Amino acid sequence: MRRVSSEINRRTLLLATGAAGITVRFGRSATAQETPSGSARVGVGEDGYRVDERANVGFYPLNTNIFESLVYMTPDYQIEPRLAESWEFVEPGTWRIVLRQGVVFHDGTPFTAEAVKYTMDRIAANGGGVLGVGPDSTVIVDDFTVEITPTYVNMRMMEQIGHPNNSILPPGLNPAESRNGTGPFREVEYVAADHYSVEANADYWGDAPGVSGITFQFYPDPTARLLALQAGDADLIVDVPAQSADQVEAAGATLLRGPVGSYEAMYFQIKGEAPYDLGQDPAVREAVSIAIDRQQVIDSAWQGNAEPGTTMIPPAILGDSASLVAAPEFDPERARQLLEEAGWVEGEGGVREKDGRALALTIINGFATAADHGSVPELIQAQLGYIGIELEIIQTPDTATYEQRLTVGEGDLWLERGSQNDGNPAFLPELLFSTPEEGGDPEATAYGRAFAPGEAFDTEIARSREATDIAEVQEAAAQAMNIVINEERIVIPLCGFYRLVGHSEAVTSFDLHASGVNQLWTSLTMAE
Amino acid sequence: MFRFVLRRLAYLLPVWIGISLVAFMLANLAPGDPARLALQRELGRQPTAEETAVVREQMGLNDAAPIRYLNWLGDALTGDLGTSYRTGQPVLDSLADRFPTTLQIAGFGLLLAIAIAIPLGILAAVYRQGPIDHFSRVIALLGASMPSYWVAYLLILLLSVRLGWLPVAGSQTWQHAVMPALTLGIGGSASLMRLTRSEMLETLNQDYIRTARAKGLGSRPLMLGHALRNTMIPLSTVLGMRFAGMLGGAVIVETIFSWPGIGKLVVDAIFDRDYPMIQGFVIFMGTAFLLINLIVDLGYGVIDPRIRLARR
Repeated sequence: MRRVSSEINRRTLLLATGAAGITVRFGRSATAQETPSGSARVGVGEDGYRVDERANVGFYPLNTNIFESLVYMTPDYQIEPRLAESWEFVEPGTWRIVLRQGVVFHDGTPFTAEAVKYTMDRIAANGGGVLGVGPDSTVIVDDFTVEITPTYVNMRMMEQIGHPNNSILPPGLNPAESRNGTGPFREVEYVAADHYSVEANADYWGDAPGVSGITFQFYPDPTARLLALQAGDADLIVDVPAQSADQVEAAGATLLRGPVGSYEAMYFQIKGEAPYDLGQDPAVREAVSIAIDRQQVIDSAWQGNAEPGTTMIPPAILGDSASLVAAPEFDPERARQLLEEAGWVEGEGGVREKDGRALALTIINGFATAADHGSVPELIQAQLGYIGIELEIIQTPDTATYEQRLTVGEGDLWLERGSQNDGNPAFLPELLFSTPEEGGDPEATAYGRAFAPGEAFDTEIARSREATDIAEVQEAAAQAMNIVINEERIVIPLCGFYRLVGHSEAVTSFDLHASGVNQLWTSLTMAE
Repeated sequence: MFRFVLRRLAYLLPVWIGISLVAFMLANLAPGDPARLALQRELGRQPTAEETAVVREQMGLNDAAPIRYLNWLGDALTGDLGTSYRTGQPVLDSLADRFPTTLQIAGFGLLLAIAIAIPLGILAAVYRQGPIDHFSRVIALLGASMPSYWVAYLLILLLSVRLGWLPVAGSQTWQHAVMPALTLGIGGSASLMRLTRSEMLETLNQDYIRTARAKGLGSRPLMLGHALRNTMIPLSTVLGMRFAGMLGGAVIVETIFSWPGIGKLVVDAIFDRDYPMIQGFVIFMGTAFLLINLIVDLGYGVIDPRIRLARR
């Protein structure tokens, strides 16, 4: 067993108990390589694949490029053709898609429109997904042309359809039983919860993989994953926790820092009932939004492995319109002044009061898990304390408890992490902040009931849904973000997280994608 | 004896019904919609209302809770513990798949704990206040104070990173089982060692030991044949309970070593409100505790014939 480092020092011990070349891309171009180099061992997180009718190839194990979608979302969140060669919108609500010819599945079955129909019908049977496809939505025009008419006019379908969840399956395939795609790698062996092995697909229609095979070993515990890299059990590990990224280099390996693909933000409840109604005061919201020192959060909680958040989605997805959105600037003195002007005066212990009520807020930490936020709640508590706001921190034990609290509105500030995995810039804002329909399912409408800013936001979201030009979509999404971030101060962006990977010197190149599920493994090459 | 075993096995049915009802009520009282949680994990985003509705129907969550419990109970009585919301696999298959892997590390862990604890405990009692007693006290203190994740990381640093002898995690070869078993064994040996020592001390002060010694019985047969045998009664009770605990409670060890056992399975099920899996697990653990206790009870008769005779 090869060792990268044989020393147990204090840093290593600290790593165990608590937990460069810094570029998005390094090394020679993998796709330019004609002969694949050796095989690679990659340490990944938990195996979450399920083996029933809802088997989701988008996450099959952590997306290993067995399958492909009709389009591909590039690292800068743009859409490019993949199994679809071209597409056009046909009024009033149909997408006509021309498919790539000469592509075969791993078992030799030719890729045709039948596969697209089978895949879309399967998605329809599971509720239609964000595409909104129904059982009659997909019509085969000829072997290499399909028409998809979602159940509502969905102008964003082509940005959404690139998500690996919508990968194309051959007709009749049950991905719970076998995995047969068109992708650059083919399955060798899947041992649930242990490892997954793939080999290069010699008949792949696109650029050949840079390695002959990859074994993905599941390490649910991030510290064990890091130790596996140190021990030489893995050549590359993904999802290095930001707070322990420096331990990769301490272990003698290289840290690769990718573009921002996920975020951390706080949402202010604006429609809560007492005692969770302080978010209804615009002055309180504005004061909180400018009292947060993002850089301190990044330096202290994330060891510098993030950048100050400007929106709650990766700025790259907004294209040129990214410059239209900026997070409120840190100005604690102005925050204090705002509160004074609003009648919140300092009381006992430095906590502000108004009409006998203390300015005390509650932050709920638990999405996706409380551990995802490290020491951020305590840092925010200290920063708000400086302007005279008392902050109670409540950690929920799991996502379900967090969402239940949100459903009943028990909290003022809600701390969340999320990621963007498709090419629709308005997807997350729409999902979280649109005004919900009256009488909808309480859990499904919880976000809207707590945070929806109202008509102006809904109008921008509607514009983003209906626009044909992607630049207009980006502009509308940016305006919608402006409403929740700068006008209403409902969303307080904190950080945009870099995607972090550690690798040994055996890895010679790897292009890191901002979105983990959209990662192309063809770019990975190994030393001979 | 046969009737005794039958009578004890007959307890299983009310135990199953009682614990499954409690588990069902607790799981259903916990907040969260299993359909939404499953979809969030599968899709990596908040599900749409339409998607959630389809999955709720698939899971049978639209029925009232008492109906769901009765349906589940009816199926369970025929050996069908339902299908996991989280994995889509039959619960019984999942438990059957995971049980042997858990049994491996729990079994090795228990043997290791016995191998460390009992000799050291005996020696500590025999040489009370001597160097061995002090040494064993330090070992027991260390074992009791180090949390299992700490022991696990230290073992990885030593045996994988520094020496390169063992793989960090996985479950494909016997080498993968060594560190999980060591972690469980070290954790389990501390209290067992102290218990062995105190029970041995108590036994060594009994009149019959003094009598045997006065009759000239040698040290080894005295310790092994008389003192240890009587000490084994309380020890076997504790060993049985510890073994049953290891079967269901090795979640931290299983997570760190990527060991696909039952503990990790059930913790994931709790987070995802996977009711069928939670109920299946409590049935499994209830059965395991009952059977292990039965074996321990039968063991009493082997260790001490007076108990066997008294039962008659």
